[in-house]
Amino acid sequence: MLDTALTWNDLLFLGQGAAMTLAVTAVSVAAGTIMGIIFGVIRFQAGPIWSMPLMFFLDIFRSVPLLIQLVLGNALQSIAKLGWPPFTTSCVVLSLYTAAYCTEIVRGGIASVPVTTRRAGRSLGMTWGQDMRYIVAPLATRVSLPAWIGLTLGVMKDSALVLWLGLIELLRASQILVTRLQEPLFILLICGAIYFIISFPIARLGGYLERRWSPHD
Amino acid sequence: MFNYTFHWNQALRALPQMLDGALVTLQVAVLSMVIGLACAIALTGFRLSGSRILSGIAAVWVEVARNTPALFQIYMAHFGLGNFGIHLSPYAALLAGIAFNNAGYLAENFRGALKAIPETQTRAGRSLGMNSLQAFRFIVLPQMLRVAYLPATNQMVWAILMTSLGVTVGMNTDLAGVTQELNARSFRTFEFFAIAAVIYYFIAKAVTLAARALAWRMFRY
Amino acid sequence: MNKVSVLVFGLMAATALGGAAHADKLDDIIGSGTLRCAVVLDFPPMGSRDADNQPVGFDVDYCNDLAKALGVTAEIVETPFPERIPALMSGRVDVGVASTSDTLERAKTVGMTIPYFAFEMAVTANDKSGVKSFEDMKGKVVGATAGTYEAIALEEQVKAWGEGEFRPYQTQADVFLALSQGQIDATVSTSTVAQANVKSGNFTGLSVVGKAPFDTDYVALFTNREEYGLINYLNLFINQQVRTGRYAELYEKWVGGEAPDLTVGGVYR
Repeated sequence: MLDTALTWNDLLFLGQGAAMTLAVTAVSVAAGTIMGIIFGVIRFQAGPIWSMPLMFFLDIFRSVPLLIQLVLGNALQSIAKLGWPPFTTSCVVLSLYTAAYCTEIVRGGIASVPVTTRRAGRSLGMTWGQDMRYIVAPLATRVSLPAWIGLTLGVMKDSALVLWLGLIELLRASQILVTRLQEPLFILLICGAIYFIISFPIARLGGYLERRWSPHD
Repeated sequence: MFNYTFHWNQALRALPQMLDGALVTLQVAVLSMVIGLACAIALTGFRLSGSRILSGIAAVWVEVARNTPALFQIYMAHFGLGNFGIHLSPYAALLAGIAFNNAGYLAENFRGALKAIPETQTRAGRSLGMNSLQAFRFIVLPQMLRVAYLPATNQMVWAILMTSLGVTVGMNTDLAGVTQELNARSFRTFEFFAIAAVIYYFIAKAVTLAARALAWRMFRY
Repeated sequence: MNKVSVLVFGLMAATALGGAAHADKLDDIIGSGTLRCAVVLDFPPMGSRDADNQPVGFDVDYCNDLAKALGVTAEIVETPFPERIPALMSGRVDVGVASTSDTLERAKTVGMTIPYFAFEMAVTANDKSGVKSFEDMKGKVVGATAGTYEAIALEEQVKAWGEGEFRPYQTQADVFLALSQGQIDATVSTSTVAQANVKSGNFTGLSVVGKAPFDTDYVALFTNREEYGLINYLNLFINQQVRTGRYAELYEKWVGGEAPDLTVGGVYR
């Protein structure tokens, strides 16, 4: 197993791939979360009927495979002559994908804040904004955070699909090395280990927070 | 701005072919779910067994399934196992990859569901004269299924979406595979993939609705 | 270019844009000073990466030559096979130098030049499979790179045989990986790819066992369908490459042997 043609240079190449994975994930999750919070608040405030068009739109991102979304997004930007590089296209599609899931998480978080608590705040003279800021946000964050961490990790893993657009992320970097070195198992195991090392501690943190902040305890 | 003329007619002529692909997609998803459920039940048993080896296997399976990309798992099932001379066809590799993934998530889901049922209930059952199997069968299991059902239906939708990854290991009969082949021949990417997206959407919706109808029949009081 | 000429050029460009005159793609490339080529980099010897993971290959050199002829600098944009057209459509690349078969089906979508290269098809088999010729592939599990000329022909052949199985992989690399693992028994690929892979020494137990009786696969450069000016230029460029002997030189460098004839007897263009 240690008898390998893999050089430090190649490990660096894998590292660059991992950095690309993290960069795509970071941008997409950041943008997706902001959109998710906005959509989630709209969804909660507007009620199920008025927010139907928005929900239908977001539902598409949860009902169509990400691979198809990426290819379609890329074809669409090419037809519209936007000339986006694959990185931008990937981030835009992944952000919407993230937002679709995040909206539900945020809505669930807001809904979990007892109405009585919010009324109490409002009767102390708080405005809607203050109520959202000082009462709903802290409580909803507690409820939503474990699910949000799960979502972030999900997006990190799903971001492997951007290789389809030619972006050299972790999995694609491994495939390139496999092509050159013909040691599929060894290189794929390293690739899997890198994903695991990134994902596992954060997943554990999410599990811990979930237990710690669980409203039932 | 749009310097592109859509050729919908040409794309729509391929619709029957794509619908055949959709059937394969559904078949893989259902099979992977059945196998995944069976494995998840076994893994849950392993975890409860008290044996260190068995619960170790279960822990590794669940953590690997949940912490690496599904695409990686499918790629591994084809090219990773191929390295040992174990040759899974694209169909089998796709099925194995998704079933592995499903089992990991479902086992975690079952564990959560088991925890949600207070142990006092089992004890109450036992004190009514049930043996431990009866207590599990009549008290824990029905409630557990109820808790685990919704996440399991989500996993089913996931399984459908994951089938699209088969194209990376040479699958050409499922919806994504058929679509990609049509695309490679004609370069009409947008048209074919847009139709595929609509079909996937309807499959996912149909499965969700069916699961809801089933839940209404199974879980009403 | 100094600042003044940039300014002058900018003014000229602004005037051109402001007026009814429309700069075509050829003008755009010359004006921008960069030629962006879509090249597939897992398709040795046409395109691949060297030990420093930098792009090299016949297509890479061809793009550089084209840029030199235009008096601009070349930029290689790596595109996987399925990504070639979206990259062109979105204006991320100007020209595809990507070993693209000039099928009539594709010419409905993009503009193809005259052929700049021609592939013969070879059968490569895993030694354990017992495949010794094209006919031996009947009833076996065979594979090829999805969407390529040879994949389409091979899949139809498998259907015609009525037995065996065809598997399309998304990259040429995956095909040879599957072949070396014995996942598939044999593949049909361009003879250049077959030779490059077998010679690379990365694989053991693979041999090129013969030719596949498919028509020669002519590949063309491509750009947007309506860019006649550019297509015209590209056609002349390809002609000049052959005339000046550069084509034979590149062929010798990357493939070796006698360069295939790019003309078809008995018909114009």
